Amino acid sequence: MKNRLTIRMLMATGLLLFGLPLFAQKPTATGTINAQLVNKNGIALVFDSDPGGVTLGSAGTSAATLNFGTISAFGPLSTGVTRTSLTAANFTVRTIFDVQVIQGGLTSTTYTLRAQLASVLPTGFSFKIDGVTLANGNTNIQTNGAYNVDVSHNLDLTVSTAAPGAGGPAVGTALTTVINFQASAN
Amino acid sequence: MRKLLVIFAAAVMITSLAAAQTATGNLTVTATVAGSINLVFNNDANGVQLTSGDGTNAASLNFGTVSAFGTLPTGVSRPTPTATTFTVSTPVDVQVNKTNSASANYTLVAQLTTADATNTWAVNGSAFTNASAGTATATGAYGSKVPVALAITIPFTTADSTVISNVVNFTATAN
Repeated sequence: MKNRLTIRMLMATGLLLFGLPLFAQKPTATGTINAQLVNKNGIALVFDSDPGGVTLGSAGTSAATLNFGTISAFGPLSTGVTRTSLTAANFTVRTIFDVQVIQGGLTSTTYTLRAQLASVLPTGFSFKIDGVTLANGNTNIQTNGAYNVDVSHNLDLTVSTAAPGAGGPAVGTALTTVINFQASAN
Repeated sequence: MRKLLVIFAAAVMITSLAAAQTATGNLTVTATVAGSINLVFNNDANGVQLTSGDGTNAASLNFGTVSAFGTLPTGVSRPTPTATTFTVSTPVDVQVNKTNSASANYTLVAQLTTADATNTWAVNGSAFTNASAGTATATGAYGSKVPVALAITIPFTTADSTVISNVVNFTATAN
């Protein structure tokens, strides 16, 4: 008899305890996060195609490709390529490409653009950017570049007219050169 | 000592913050060089002066008024006429330049643009028509003016004041 009473009391207590939440309001929880970030200043350089030049491969990145196509002293040239000079010794072809340097968090208003050849040039080749001859060491191309806009640059490729093996470049094969650029905030 | 350390640490931080910001990129540039040759016409000192296009590859040459027995314009020569025709000739210089090529010389041929059923045309004695080319030289030297004799043989039956006009296409091919 005593046991029955005890069991009934336990059951009543259990119903009371577990049944109450069913009638209670929907539970809510709140919290706060103290977010913090450090705005790291910096600059980035990307290459863009210029309307007056050849279309770049991987435009909009910092590792683009530029193909003059087939060039010759007298023959037709690709769209975006012009022949700016022709002498008995050499001819020069030109195209235009854009460099955009993006900055954030800097007080700098301009940048200096430098360029250098990554390796020794193929025989019979020489490069200029905006009239500045490129070498295997960094050379200033522009000292007052404006941020966040495409800045066009002339890329001149001068080719010896000499025959292959006589000081002239190899003919009929694609010759590749990598030009490294560096933009430094002024 | 502690002050010195603090100053040193501050200096290091300032230096770090003041370091110039740089960004880099690389542009891979490719070009394929092709050998090429170019042909231009030039006045020859002993020939008829070009009416236009001296130094270009599209020139005009006017023999002027020619006849079997009459006086000829300066620069025009006339071998002894045959019984039925006479020939007038003038030299014109052709210069072919080469680049990025190991070719030693070139072959120069000429061909009429339109048929001429009446007259006979020749370069350096080699007859040509609109259907077949005449060879001016098979061993042309690059980079120098090479005189080419352009001749027209005209029948006596040609009416007075007849204008003879045609376009002669010259083609130089690297050997």
